[in-house]
Amino acid sequence: MADEPTRLRDYGLQSERLLWPTKGPSRFEEELGVEDLERALGLTTLDKAVRWAQTKSMWPDTFGLACCAIEMMSIVSSRYDLARFGMEAFRSSPRQADLLIVSGRVAHKMAAPLRQIYDQMLEPKWVIAMGACASSGGMFNNYTILQGVDRIVPVDIYVPFCPPRPEALMEGIIRLHEAHQAGVPPAYERREVAT
Amino acid sequence: MTAFAKGWEGLPGFVSAKESFGETTVTVEREEIHAACERARDDGFTFLADIVTTDYLGWGHKGVSGYIGTGTGRDLNHPATQGFQSLPAPKPKRFSLSYHLLAMEQPARRVRLQCWLDEGESVASVVSVWPTADWHEREQFDLMGVQFDGHPNLARLLMPDDWEGHPLRKDYPIGGEPVRFSDAE
Amino acid sequence: MTVAPERSARSRRDWPIVFPPPYEGSRIPARVPTILDVPAELLATDDILQINFGPNHPSTHGVLRLIVDLDGERVVGLNAVIGYLHTGFEKTMEQKTWWKCVTYPERIDYLGYQNAELVFVLAVERLLAIEVPEKATWMRTLLCELNRIHSHLIFLGTSALELGAISMFWYCFRERETILDLYEMVTGARMHTRYFQVGGLAEDIPEGFYPECRKFVEWMPHALDDYLALLDRNAIWLERTKGVGLLSAQDAIALGQTGPNLRASGVDWDLRRDQPYLAYDQVDFRVPVYAGGDVYDRYRVRMDEMAESTRIVDQCLRRLERMDGRPWIADDRKVVLPPREELHTSMESLIHHFKIVTEGFRVPEGEIYVAIESPRGESGCYLVSDGGPKPWRVHFRAPSFVALEATATCIGDAIIADLIAIVGSLDAVMGDTDR
Repeated sequence: MADEPTRLRDYGLQSERLLWPTKGPSRFEEELGVEDLERALGLTTLDKAVRWAQTKSMWPDTFGLACCAIEMMSIVSSRYDLARFGMEAFRSSPRQADLLIVSGRVAHKMAAPLRQIYDQMLEPKWVIAMGACASSGGMFNNYTILQGVDRIVPVDIYVPFCPPRPEALMEGIIRLHEAHQAGVPPAYERREVAT
Repeated sequence: MTAFAKGWEGLPGFVSAKESFGETTVTVEREEIHAACERARDDGFTFLADIVTTDYLGWGHKGVSGYIGTGTGRDLNHPATQGFQSLPAPKPKRFSLSYHLLAMEQPARRVRLQCWLDEGESVASVVSVWPTADWHEREQFDLMGVQFDGHPNLARLLMPDDWEGHPLRKDYPIGGEPVRFSDAE
Repeated sequence: MTVAPERSARSRRDWPIVFPPPYEGSRIPARVPTILDVPAELLATDDILQINFGPNHPSTHGVLRLIVDLDGERVVGLNAVIGYLHTGFEKTMEQKTWWKCVTYPERIDYLGYQNAELVFVLAVERLLAIEVPEKATWMRTLLCELNRIHSHLIFLGTSALELGAISMFWYCFRERETILDLYEMVTGARMHTRYFQVGGLAEDIPEGFYPECRKFVEWMPHALDDYLALLDRNAIWLERTKGVGLLSAQDAIALGQTGPNLRASGVDWDLRRDQPYLAYDQVDFRVPVYAGGDVYDRYRVRMDEMAESTRIVDQCLRRLERMDGRPWIADDRKVVLPPREELHTSMESLIHHFKIVTEGFRVPEGEIYVAIESPRGESGCYLVSDGGPKPWRVHFRAPSFVALEATATCIGDAIIADLIAIVGSLDAVMGDTDR
């Protein structure tokens, strides 16, 4: 039993007890039981902890363009409460936002402001292409609609349908959370689109 | 009793009047459209609902007969006239410019004043008659290329400012990207 | 400024609402009707700040860009730039057959989508001279009125949200969810239902719809009381909306305003009553008209319209409940798809189905303009047909387009906070504006 790692220092972690060898167990450790300490604590890496924090409060930017924006507003409403996921704070300034939900058709005239907003966001940032029009141009294959926003911004999640149900958008958001928690890097690190 | 209850002949520049599908279309000469609009407004048509331009390029031409899903694939620029038994009658000029007017009375009266233009011909602006015509005319200039004389600010409205071409014309391609196996559209 | 000076001394009970009535004459900006120009003497002071309410901004109208010149907090110059959502509906619809075109108008006015569908379908039916069964007419009326309530709820929720009454958003969306549940039950989709077809409705009305709709009709007046309790006597709301954004009746007509914007300026004009379509000549409803011409009156017109729409839905329900088993779409097989069961047994049905889906039905040559009263005002569809399977020209008269034309006139003497209230009260949907 002495060979199994049971103490923090067996894991290579420095604690004040290690630096101060003559110090006895703290009140906290005594309450938990010194033998169960490692089981009572959560051990994690800094990366995972940071990703957990980012996932639980990924604030979207108010980028509602067309019909999908109405369904995006309805995920904030009380039935499909997005506040459960810590995301009801839609930031108006892209400098304060993490997630850009492109909801609606993007005209060529709007493509430049879209790219500007994306550039103003700080890393790490994610993009969800909500709806068929943002994913691929949707039912509009013409002179004025950008055939998919992934032509100008790197997209993490595509949510299909026209407009997607609020549950579908939330599924996309949750998948993004899970992907990020699992360590998948944001799209700008993976894809070579217009970065 | 309105001035035009018995007929529209008194309208300046009057060419013809037609009743179809329950509405009246009055064709006017292009040069007289401003005077005609003023007379109509003075008669009670104080509300301009809409200004629409229609491009009749390719009207009545024979098209590819048979189904639209043909083996020749997707032809983005071909107007939709395909294999008719009888072709529609040709139009006087390329563009028709329609003004949809409404008189807010009981009973309501609606009329369509229409004039015909060719490419390059310009029309007097009716902003001084109905101020709402400002953006309607800008939109028609932007999308169809109709010049309105006397418009205070004839600039592009819907397309980006540096866009070339007038998208709604029939010789302007639909654009977009080619889609495989989707020959109908 | 339009607010009385002794603000702190006022109690809620003795509220002397003093606000300027709509003005005499015209206030339309002189040089260009839709652009408010900075007066030359102000430009000379070199103190004007030009800011850009860019296409992406917090107030939830969509992609409207306002270039605003400010003298301190006062708005002295305004230029609205649109086109950031131009989708090319009109040209795209020229490439699709008439049946496939129905999915496009819905996305133009994406808050009043049933009304947008309706105007296109009515125009095609007029050209075809096809007769729509009574059940379809009444159901269309019901769904369009539900859509009016839906659109006004979103207007109320988002306008209040922009002015700071954030709770209204959740209250309004609660009722909106009920309406969308009704839509989903009938049509299968929450928004953009594609339920109105040329000739009637796509499918029969399902069982269980009438009790659910009646529950909504009985609940809605209580919800409206909730909203009025939250906003109507709220001192902040009244101060921010009374006397702000004035538009006189004469200017409203000159600028082509329709719908609630026009009725709030004192002009008694409603296409449902004055040029009835569908079943509006057989239902009893009032048309709210207020003479103040300000943001508050536009809000009141829409609130009252919601109440009237609930009454119309109630009357439609009573008529529809007696129409079980009647046809919901016209019988003309050259235009209307046959029911799927028939395809197994009837050769003619198979051929008709094939021709309608691949080539499309033909609409006789002609042009027509049909106008209805959408939640935003007069929404019109101008169709030109060349006798073929696809439209030759489709144009939509967008009430939001003309509503934004009036922005420069409504501004008057506003400060920048009032600008938000005014643009919100005009209820412009950018899809409708830019098409």
